[in-house]
Amino acid sequence: MSAVPAETAIAADAARASKVSARTVQVWDLPVRLFHWTLVLSIAAAYVTAEFGGSNWADWHGRIGAFVLALLVFRLIWGFIGTPTARFRNFFPTPSRLVAYLRGRWQGRGHNPLGALSVIALLALVAAQVATGLYANDDIAFAGPLSASVGKSTSDALTGWHEQIFYVLAGFIGLHVLAIIFYLLVRRSNLVTPMITGSKVAVNTESAATTKHLGWRFVAAVAIAATASWLVFRAPAASHAEVAVPAAATADW
Amino acid sequence: MNRTFLLAISLAAVTTVAAAGPIEDQIRFRQSAYSFISWNTGKIKKQVVDQPATYNKEQVIAAANAIAAVANSGLGALYGAGTDQGTGWKPTQLKPEFFKQPDEARRLAIEFNTAANDLARIAQGGDLAAIKAQFGKLSETCKGCHNSFRQRD
Repeated sequence: MSAVPAETAIAADAARASKVSARTVQVWDLPVRLFHWTLVLSIAAAYVTAEFGGSNWADWHGRIGAFVLALLVFRLIWGFIGTPTARFRNFFPTPSRLVAYLRGRWQGRGHNPLGALSVIALLALVAAQVATGLYANDDIAFAGPLSASVGKSTSDALTGWHEQIFYVLAGFIGLHVLAIIFYLLVRRSNLVTPMITGSKVAVNTESAATTKHLGWRFVAAVAIAATASWLVFRAPAASHAEVAVPAAATADW
Repeated sequence: MNRTFLLAISLAAVTTVAAAGPIEDQIRFRQSAYSFISWNTGKIKKQVVDQPATYNKEQVIAAANAIAAVANSGLGALYGAGTDQGTGWKPTQLKPEFFKQPDEARRLAIEFNTAANDLARIAQGGDLAAIKAQFGKLSETCKGCHNSFRQRD
């Protein structure tokens, strides 16, 4: 019985020590990191296949679009069932959170409120690119899977939007990278390594509530995302220009 | 004096029509040409790339020949001075740069003609993989000119 207070004290001290000494804590779960880096690669590949090459590359641009749609659906689901830092509820940039952050009173793990604004903007822009891309055409031999459902002039207009939104997206990506460089050089905070390893050195090591059945949640989210993307993209890319000519149904002249 | 006035008016009208007509016609004819090409590239895309099971050799040959015929029809005649402004079936998307870089325009046009003629020749062979590869090259020549001289939507 006499040992209990001592043990309690040691435990309390250890807890205090662990709070002041630098230790690593998990910031980003594996699905968040996979999402981030596959999105980076997808956007780069989408840019290359749109800007260069012919119709065979354009077809790959379309497939990448389907993949990005799946990524977005996955991230949306993960924002509700992922680990705490992945959930929108925990990082959605509400005015009170933004004010607290700007006054230096924000304490938390994961996206800070300003970073969260950037995250929401980037996700919205990528979603806009997928949405407009579905209806776009390149006036050569590529047409988005839903382009036939709108008129040619609407498809052309949305193609214009698709091209314009890209510049806005590129601007936000540039801002995102500049912010990371700013944090690294000025704030002495490396944000890139945690996005690779998942953990960061932190003073505040209060462990977040563990999320149960992470693996199953991941599998379920991926399955739903893949199905949603497939349902949208399975529509044959039949455009106004691609009127099939069934031999039997065609005049023999 | 009255007659002079009337004569002046009708002359002005004639010259206006003469100036506007050819430009609008050139734009309309070339828009039609590329629209017709697009019908044919669409058929080849469908039968050779998207759904090879629907491949019909004669139809693909006919489509490739049609593209080559339009390419060889002397489309350059439809790119007269001033045709970067004006409306055919819709406003032209030709950039003014087209007239500032005539050598580049000529190079891209010949590249397109060559690719179209090669596709027509290769379509005769009936080798799907070869047709697909050449179709890819042809579409690159379309894109090359679009990137340089066509205003985006």
